[in-house]
Amino acid sequence: MKIENNIKLWSSLGMRATFGMIAIELAKKYPDLMITTSDVSTSAGLDRYKNKYPDKFIDVGIAEQNLIGVSAGLSSEGFKVISTTFAPFQTLRCCEQIKVNLGYMKNKICMVGLASGLVLGNLGFTHCCIEDVGTLRSIPNIAIVTPSDPFELFKVLNEAIVYKNSVYIRLTAGSNTKIINNKDYKFKIGKAVEILPGEDVVIIGCGNILGNCLEAATALKKKKIQCAVVNMHTIKPIDKEKVKEIAKKNKLIVTVEEHNVLGGLGTAVAEVLSGEINNCKLVRVGINDFYSSGGSYEYLKNIYGLSVEKIIQTVLSNLKKNEK
Amino acid sequence: MKNKKKYIEIFIKSFSMDEKKFNEKIKYNDIPEWDSIGHMTLMSDLEEGFNISIDTDDIIDFSSFKKGIQILKKYKVN
Repeated sequence: MKIENNIKLWSSLGMRATFGMIAIELAKKYPDLMITTSDVSTSAGLDRYKNKYPDKFIDVGIAEQNLIGVSAGLSSEGFKVISTTFAPFQTLRCCEQIKVNLGYMKNKICMVGLASGLVLGNLGFTHCCIEDVGTLRSIPNIAIVTPSDPFELFKVLNEAIVYKNSVYIRLTAGSNTKIINNKDYKFKIGKAVEILPGEDVVIIGCGNILGNCLEAATALKKKKIQCAVVNMHTIKPIDKEKVKEIAKKNKLIVTVEEHNVLGGLGTAVAEVLSGEINNCKLVRVGINDFYSSGGSYEYLKNIYGLSVEKIIQTVLSNLKKNEK
Repeated sequence: MKNKKKYIEIFIKSFSMDEKKFNEKIKYNDIPEWDSIGHMTLMSDLEEGFNISIDTDDIIDFSSFKKGIQILKKYKVN
């Protein structure tokens, strides 16, 4: 497989189609792989997988509690299991099963939450998902990873399948995702990646919204502001050392996430900082704990301060406040 | 291409297209149905229809109806 040589092409496919492609590669590598779903083989890009490996694909129907129950059972019998459906249904509808079967009983599966964040905004907040990270973060023994682009998703899935605990993989954005990673790099769950250096302010982000962070940082550079961008792909376990290191060297951290500011990446960073003596201000950008009306992805990102322009404004206004 | 009729039929079925609206200049993302997810459905239908297994690189490279004809030649679908 030549994924490292085809980063741009892979990104054009988007997260979900890439997931479907990687599933086939994983099935070749792991004969004991099972993929379970709640009625979303096409939406998850899994049609090819389903046709190639009908015995390794279980569709439980629209019954997400069963999705987790069946997946946990397969895991207890020694299978490597990936479950998938749209993010709100993969996490919230079956939350008790996740808590008991995965967190408490420690059955290990990988859960892939499709189209999380705001990308399904036209369907309203029944389908947008801004609560998944906050909810799952409070359950022990589950890692939470938000890949920034399809290339990183490839790395995440390959690590998650052999990771010691269950992993929730949160997919954001639609097709034609922004390319965050232009070259190959070392990926490890729990280890953040600095994707742009800078010394005046640090943006910590996760998921494909990092594309907006990079564009904002590039625009700020033209205003002589050196803005670093860090890809905190793993929200749990968060890279504490990296957060502490950033806080020691900088006076302003801006977290950017396609999630409620309560319970997500910004909260996780704040929790690390709260145990440290530092002089670093933290500003959390994300969904500010309210449901708006439905709308397009771009519209909602703007409403919630996640557009490139709004991120730039947030950085500039907080740098000014810091100077006073 | 001997299998052209079948190839077109698969396109039409995969994207639930109106037969009359199909044209051979179609490219990835030209119509809403040929997005990334639709692409995977098309690949699946082609694999099933021609009893082949398309390599990952070819799936990514399959950017248009015409490009598809070239790629399928590799799999002896002429």
